[in-house]
Amino acid sequence: MDLSHTQRDALRELGNIGAAHAATTLSTMLMSNIEMDVPEIHLIDISKVYEHVGDELAALVLFQITGEVSGGGYVLLHIPKNSVIRLTNAMLGMTELDRDLTEMDESALLEIGNIMVSAFLDATASLLDVIMLPSPPTLIVDMPHAAFQTIITAQDTFDINEVVLFRTELKSDQHKITSNLFLLPNPPMLTDILEMLDKLLTP
Amino acid sequence: MEKTPNDRNEVVIVGIGDLAVGRGVMSSIGLGSCVGLVIHDRERGVGGLAHVMLPDSGGRTKRPGKFADTAIEALVAGLIQQGCRKTQLVAKMVGGAAMFKTFSGNLNIGERNITAIKENLKQKNIPLKAECVGGSVGRTLTYYPSDGGKVVVKLADGKKNEI
Repeated sequence: MDLSHTQRDALRELGNIGAAHAATTLSTMLMSNIEMDVPEIHLIDISKVYEHVGDELAALVLFQITGEVSGGGYVLLHIPKNSVIRLTNAMLGMTELDRDLTEMDESALLEIGNIMVSAFLDATASLLDVIMLPSPPTLIVDMPHAAFQTIITAQDTFDINEVVLFRTELKSDQHKITSNLFLLPNPPMLTDILEMLDKLLTP
Repeated sequence: MEKTPNDRNEVVIVGIGDLAVGRGVMSSIGLGSCVGLVIHDRERGVGGLAHVMLPDSGGRTKRPGKFADTAIEALVAGLIQQGCRKTQLVAKMVGGAAMFKTFSGNLNIGERNITAIKENLKQKNIPLKAECVGGSVGRTLTYYPSDGGKVVVKLADGKKNEI
């Protein structure tokens, strides 16, 4: 698998539009500015995934993408533990920082995840003129690498040794909240997206 | 692809589908459904670590560390090359969890990895000395070949235990 310069640019732009919509929803919920990075696109060997996602405790909200894209893929919202606490606190007007994650954090995460990921998928799907739907979210609070590994393994990975990792960082400086939005397309979905983008770019 | 950790304090990270053989400290971080398999030589303080992703190679020979059957084969071959005696080898394994409760993917891949490793070890007459597997938690494994083959398992919340 190889990605050309143009393909990377097109994907980055697609990610940019999606993430911008997700950022807007987060900004509305927090009533704060959200800083957004240019999306990163990495084509990485499975043995190097650990260089991009670590084993520090974080909340991960996972959505499977279904709809008019073959194979589908996954969207993952990754929020480090401390940011989760600040996020719930900001939403519910609480202040206690030194605490464990509770059911309240979990429902806040599922809610935020749902809204952000729906916005992300709606924006990318309408640009591509297809329908993409998120599955109901699954939440785990654990090591990001362990989650990624399970997702990668669930794809048909016998002969696939590379994954495409799309990452956009969304931050609120005011609340000191960091989050990452990951898109992991299955290979057929990536091919589909690239074809659609190609059509869009051809006058 | 095979890495050779040296005696220094440098930790060699063994990523998904990879393997390493040597005397230095080796680690696999964030094991989910994958299994970190250690084969240790009790006599010589040498050993190997594989980050196994799938239970069966189906005859594939590239990336031996990726599959349970080929990983054991490759680790044993690597250790024998280092002068180890097969009768001195023992195994430890960590991982094989089911991270997501509701997930329409390969649900029990972790469990299948564990079973496959056990079967393959039995065939090769390598005793499984310790394990920390299953459940629904991610684990980071660190293996110290020259420190009695000690394996430290760390969980996401920072708790550690030695097996």
